[in-house]
Amino acid sequence: MKYYMKILKESIIIVILSSLMGMISGSVLSSNKDILSAIPILLLIIPALNSLIGDMSTVLVSRLTTHLYIGTLSPKIQISDRLKEDFYGLLITTLLSLVSLLFLGYLVGIISGIRIVNPLLMIFIMSLTVLLLFSIMFIALFFGAIFLFKRGRDPNNFLIPFVTSLADFLTPLFLIVFIIIFI
Amino acid sequence: MESQDSKGKIIKETFPSEIVSIIGDLLAGIILSLLIVHFDSFLVLILMIPALLSLRGNLSGPFIARTSRDLVIGTLSRRSWLENALATYTLSLITAFFIGIFSMILNLAFFKLTILPMGYFILIPIISIILALSISIPCSTGLNYLAFKKGLTPNNVVNPVMTAVDDFSTVFCFLLTIIILGVP
Repeated sequence: MKYYMKILKESIIIVILSSLMGMISGSVLSSNKDILSAIPILLLIIPALNSLIGDMSTVLVSRLTTHLYIGTLSPKIQISDRLKEDFYGLLITTLLSLVSLLFLGYLVGIISGIRIVNPLLMIFIMSLTVLLLFSIMFIALFFGAIFLFKRGRDPNNFLIPFVTSLADFLTPLFLIVFIIIFI
Repeated sequence: MESQDSKGKIIKETFPSEIVSIIGDLLAGIILSLLIVHFDSFLVLILMIPALLSLRGNLSGPFIARTSRDLVIGTLSRRSWLENALATYTLSLITAFFIGIFSMILNLAFFKLTILPMGYFILIPIISIILALSISIPCSTGLNYLAFKKGLTPNNVVNPVMTAVDDFSTVFCFLLTIIILGVP
């Protein structure tokens, strides 16, 4: 049961803390019920937006961890060709996914009869949120993975729970802040 | 394989999986915006949903990444998989319990809704997440193995696809749980 104990030991605190962050995200949504009622497409799109940021960050952490374990990325803070390929690959995927998400989201919204308010401004706000979060996550996760790996920890166990919750917390928060600023 | 992935390969493998993820999440969004929104206790339920979606990501994300890494570096065995799955269930039970307690505290502090019996705050997250993980763990293991066998990079493919399955199944299991428990 060595592997079991290692996973529990390395994950328990961060998983509980991350869930706490999820609760804060729930409170952000719950206390902005008026915005959710005024722009109902938000409830439809928020899980997909959260996932988009979370997925790209999870893929990045998994890739960085594997690169560090097999030695194709050295545990140093430096820009390498490997890192550039990962950055551009994930950035282009994020942009393509964002376009698809907006198209499918609005299509589902129209089909299911959900009221659509200020579509162009909402598209701008969602794009701004995704791009800003992608940049923040990429830098933070690269530093985090190197830091943890150098200390003999598995970045997968720490960073994936952290980043998923951070994405779940920051996405609705950024959206609501931008909505308050721009609308 | 993963060590030589070009940006083209990353896009080619990750983008289609992300589309599947988006579709799954939009289905979760439909359940959220058309079904759960009408419950009288919505204000309390929406407190738990992001935490449960996070918890799902916090548990099955690392489970998938660990399985994928073990496959890639050649250390995956039945024993390591079982310990990985057991640790994921143990973590889910402990954290779902904490989510219940935190929601109870937040409700008492800010929303003061008495519509939901106290015990439900603990039962809803525990039942929902156990149901959702029981779908997620076998699916992700099969998908990881299949991706690896087909020569794809499991890290690029499995996580986005499983996010779709997991987010939809978490929201669906949540809806199922509140219906079974008779939540108003």
